[in-house]
Amino acid sequence: MSARALVLAGYGINCDFETAHALTLAGAEARRVHISQLTGAPGQPATETLEGYNILVFDGGFSWGDDHGAGVLLATRLGNHLRDQLRDFLGRGGLVMGICNGFQALVNLGLLPLLNGRWERSVALTANDCGNFQDRWVDLAVEPASPCVFTRGLKSLPLPVRHGEGKLVAEPTVLAEIEARGLTALRYAGPAGKPAKGRWPQNPNGSQNDIAGICDPSGRVFGLMPHPEGYYRLSQHPTWTLEREKARRKGRELDPEAPGRGLAIFANAVAAARGA
Amino acid sequence: MAERLEIGLKPDLPDPAGRGLMAKARAYLGLSIEKARVLRVLTLDAELSCEELEKARRDIFTNPVTEQSSFQPLAAQVLPDFDWALWVGLKPGVRDNEGATGLEAMRDVLCRGFGSEEAVYSSKLYLLKAPKLSLAAAQALCRELLANDIIQQWRVIPRGEWDPAAGVGIVIPKVRLAHTPSVATLPIPSDLELLSLSDQRHLFLNPADAPVIRAYFNDPRVRAQRERLGLGDPTDVELEYVSQARSDHCNHNTFNGRFRYLDLLSGERREVDNLFKRCIKDPTERLAAERDWVVSVLWDNAGVAALDGRNHYVITGETHNSPSNMEAYGGAITGIVGVYRDPMGTGLGSKLVAGMWGFCVGPRDYDGELRPALHPRRLLDGIIEGVRDGGNKSGIPTALGTLSFDRRYIGKCLVFVSAVGVMPALVGGLPSHEKTTSPGELVIMSGGRVGADGIHGVTASSAGYSESTPAGHVQIGDPYTQKKMHDFLLEARDAGLIRFITDNGGGGLSSSVGESARLSPGAEVDLQKVPLKYQGLDPWQIWVSESQERMTVAVAPEDEAAFMALSEKHDVESTVIGRFTGDGKLKLSYGDEVCAYVDVEFLEKGFPQWEFEAHWLPPEARGLAEPALTPPEDLGGLLLDLLDSPNLCSREWINRQYDHEVQGTSVIKPFAGRRQEVPSEAAVLKPVLESPAGLAMAQVVLFEYGDIDAYHMVTASVEEGLRRVTAVGGDPMQVGGVDNFCWPSVQYDPRENPDGRYKAAQLVRACWGLKDACEALGVPLLSGKDSMYVDGRLKGRHGLMQRVSGPPTMLFTATAPVHDLKRAQTLEPKLAGDLLYVLGRTRDELGGGALYNLLGQVGRNVPETSLDDSLALCLATARALERGLLASVCVPSRGGLGLALARMALAGELGLEADLELLPAPAGLKPLARLFSESTGRLVVSVDPAKAGELETLLAGIPHARVGRVLKEKRLRVTAQGRTVADLAISQLRKAFTKRFGGMV
Repeated sequence: MSARALVLAGYGINCDFETAHALTLAGAEARRVHISQLTGAPGQPATETLEGYNILVFDGGFSWGDDHGAGVLLATRLGNHLRDQLRDFLGRGGLVMGICNGFQALVNLGLLPLLNGRWERSVALTANDCGNFQDRWVDLAVEPASPCVFTRGLKSLPLPVRHGEGKLVAEPTVLAEIEARGLTALRYAGPAGKPAKGRWPQNPNGSQNDIAGICDPSGRVFGLMPHPEGYYRLSQHPTWTLEREKARRKGRELDPEAPGRGLAIFANAVAAARGA
Repeated sequence: MAERLEIGLKPDLPDPAGRGLMAKARAYLGLSIEKARVLRVLTLDAELSCEELEKARRDIFTNPVTEQSSFQPLAAQVLPDFDWALWVGLKPGVRDNEGATGLEAMRDVLCRGFGSEEAVYSSKLYLLKAPKLSLAAAQALCRELLANDIIQQWRVIPRGEWDPAAGVGIVIPKVRLAHTPSVATLPIPSDLELLSLSDQRHLFLNPADAPVIRAYFNDPRVRAQRERLGLGDPTDVELEYVSQARSDHCNHNTFNGRFRYLDLLSGERREVDNLFKRCIKDPTERLAAERDWVVSVLWDNAGVAALDGRNHYVITGETHNSPSNMEAYGGAITGIVGVYRDPMGTGLGSKLVAGMWGFCVGPRDYDGELRPALHPRRLLDGIIEGVRDGGNKSGIPTALGTLSFDRRYIGKCLVFVSAVGVMPALVGGLPSHEKTTSPGELVIMSGGRVGADGIHGVTASSAGYSESTPAGHVQIGDPYTQKKMHDFLLEARDAGLIRFITDNGGGGLSSSVGESARLSPGAEVDLQKVPLKYQGLDPWQIWVSESQERMTVAVAPEDEAAFMALSEKHDVESTVIGRFTGDGKLKLSYGDEVCAYVDVEFLEKGFPQWEFEAHWLPPEARGLAEPALTPPEDLGGLLLDLLDSPNLCSREWINRQYDHEVQGTSVIKPFAGRRQEVPSEAAVLKPVLESPAGLAMAQVVLFEYGDIDAYHMVTASVEEGLRRVTAVGGDPMQVGGVDNFCWPSVQYDPRENPDGRYKAAQLVRACWGLKDACEALGVPLLSGKDSMYVDGRLKGRHGLMQRVSGPPTMLFTATAPVHDLKRAQTLEPKLAGDLLYVLGRTRDELGGGALYNLLGQVGRNVPETSLDDSLALCLATARALERGLLASVCVPSRGGLGLALARMALAGELGLEADLELLPAPAGLKPLARLFSESTGRLVVSVDPAKAGELETLLAGIPHARVGRVLKEKRLRVTAQGRTVADLAISQLRKAFTKRFGGMV
């Protein structure tokens, strides 16, 4: 079965091109679809459905300008118009991925962490403790026991974060359940893979338990603040010229266009979609 | 009835916004606040049932995990023991982005429409526990930190006056213009009366233009034509139109002027008829004719050059000084969002791929007596935040930027913003950079609506700042609305629906329609069809309003339906407001009433050229000399002082706030090195994901050299731009330039501007430098802008007003394609044991440099650029990068070799040793000059020893020397005259580099 990915676009979303590009490189058939095509717009009916897709990506950006809370109005719009379709999509094993603003939308839609199968807002992504938007690279440790299909086979990886509201907050009971069920797919860490323990800037936002990404119990709905499409290509890494020089001394030339380590997450999504 | 919804974080969660306020209150105003909580307030001015209100509160506006909210005051739950409540909201008519999206969400969730009078207004409520805060201090908090009176209103409520039931009350900042729109006829029987009208209406007309304007409207042929339409004397619409188009901002009268240059020392006279034509246009046309990669220059909203065979890049730069100087956040966000419309309106429209910034402000710790509009620290905070929100929310990577402090910028700050776009070379088989308007095509306005905001922006920025500068031109940009429009227009372009497109910036419709109508030629517009933010605007206001986020598009009538359908899909408002004609007339009406009728070519001809006297005195004649210095005991200490100096220390906190990686195009980021803390020489992006080509871009500001000679300031800037893009892998044979001039007024006036003739001579010499550098280096100017009147009139002690003129400044932006990313390189040494080379000659050129700056000196020996040598150096470097011979490339600039070596060591986390005696330099040059001279035309590179032979062969004919090597030991060790003159641990360098601003986030 082929992997057909729908990448959301429009209304201030801004990572649609590179996310679709990364998915294509990972082997998916990716399409950018405007939210209005799915929900209709004033004066226009919907022209597109989730039918025929098996990967749905809520990609990054500033949907609705982040007004009234990052991801809130995107969640409201989709929840209002697409609830049944989304339910069907999940029911037939569709994969949902939310990156940065998309992750914020997923928690506001209640699609994550989906603890008891009910769509409810039990986790929030709120203003960074440092008080500002941050673009910096972080090291991530992958939870080995997580059911997350997107992080399968990965131990750690560096990715950029680019957000002002990425601090994950939940009630202690919710947090405990997320941890107990291994839903913490990604954690901010030091370079050696040890948890950041809240230390800035390894943990760039003050997220509880250093949580950078979570999945639902099925492992097929996944949200993360860091940007895997920000490292789809080797030469996106901040010190790629250093790695290249080291390789040159061994007589090898690194291809700047070679896959970056973030591409593995998309490749996992494609593999899971094909397997479903 | 209106309801007020208050939303706040739950009391057990920390409030970063409140903590930020406490920190700033302490640092900026010395005020102590024990606790602070910030509430969002939404005033819902709409007819809503209780159920609807509750649904909106619960489902849209409140996060159940982190927030609580209520239609009653929340203070008692959030901070029961507060001492002060401070409320800050927008003034009527100021763009309220959050309010607009709030209404949009309610429309969707409540499944109902809202009337044109219904709205949502956002504001903030600050609750402070600060028992020792006085009323005056609480007011100062509002005035100095939380609100700007130009766009915001505020209230201070002490605990004792707090009404627990009513809270802050309900404020509805609705614009009510109790005014019936009308057109006024303005007789102009004499030049004097026209000029007095100009003063009354803030038209800033040049006196020399008055007779030409009167002659046109008195021309019997014109009068006869006008009478047939019921028009007599000019209308307010027409006079406003003329003054917009004739403003220095739109018409570049200074640059198009005639300059009579006199060297007061030698008596040499030279006359330059039109600086722009002689020094910018002519050289660029010559260079463009010889270079097929130059695609489109000198006429469109931005310049166009080839990125690769299939794609073009589009670039321009702008300034937004005047509004930013008064309302830093609003000015800066409007500036960056505004410049992004230029590439959107270039050719048939390009996709935005990068932004850049350059800020010039007064010292952050300024404590002088003159009172600028905003303290430099507050100004800088606001500018940084404005560019942050404008860039990030547009989804465009902010590739890099520069920040300069100088006391003279307190008169008026400079906010440079640059934009880069890409477009396919062909759209629907036709060249994407060509466009025109034709009779019969529709005039369509897309994007935002028109309000009274932004009126007279171009005329206000064509004058210096004073306390009476009208604030009506200050606005708040809306990147969200513009992002939707951007996505829409690109889809419309690719569907072949756009015949012509241009943006509405300075001058609004008067400029966009006025200029596009010259092509067809002619247009008719009904101003009553223009969608408004609120009723009551006069037709002239609609015509010249600079309300943001609007484009003007020409669409064929048969494409109207398809264009409008796409517009709806993207939730963008588009309106047909007229059509292009072929009769050579611009005809404006308001409903049935004709309110303007002028020849489209009227503004292009017959106006007198501005004239300037330019008097030059060479630096020696001005008393400039090299300072008398004896050799220092500790060169290392000087180097640490320089690393810590405001203009050279870390700016990491700014670039971290800017998304520089969105779109997945990043190759060389604004930071280099293992710790990503040292500014890169240039940025490289890969703007078309499917193409292997990169684009290098760099920015240079060297205003200090202008204190000695603006000629050398500009040649050094262009040359450094070339060197920077070469250093990161750009092709030195395909470098494009953008010149952004910001100059104080050059019009001599014995009382108002007594040194105007000298400033004019500086401008002339700067333009000569630009011409010489561009010609010698083969750099065509793809785009450029000038912003004059960088002057302020500031009040000091005892009410004494002083004129403060900014230093003549030019920001130079260089771009070059990186044909293959394998050539891209960064500045940090990669491996210990590598050899360190300095390429290019070092001379005794400390004048205007960072070292003298630190000592409070200017000096005389400004770096004089040998353009041919620099070009040869860059060509050789490009070949070396192509062959993979260089492990790092660093560009010595401010602070000379000393700063370059320190930055390399910091970035590489590797030590360096260098012997200054080995430099290519005149014998006898002192160690101080060897280390800190800012001679141009130099690079520092590290090299794999195995490749040194090949490199040296390649460098034949280029002055170069192996001066040392890369060390494992983390120290920077510099020797001269056989002894160690600096020996510093990298940790010391880092401490110096980061201690000033390193704690800022």
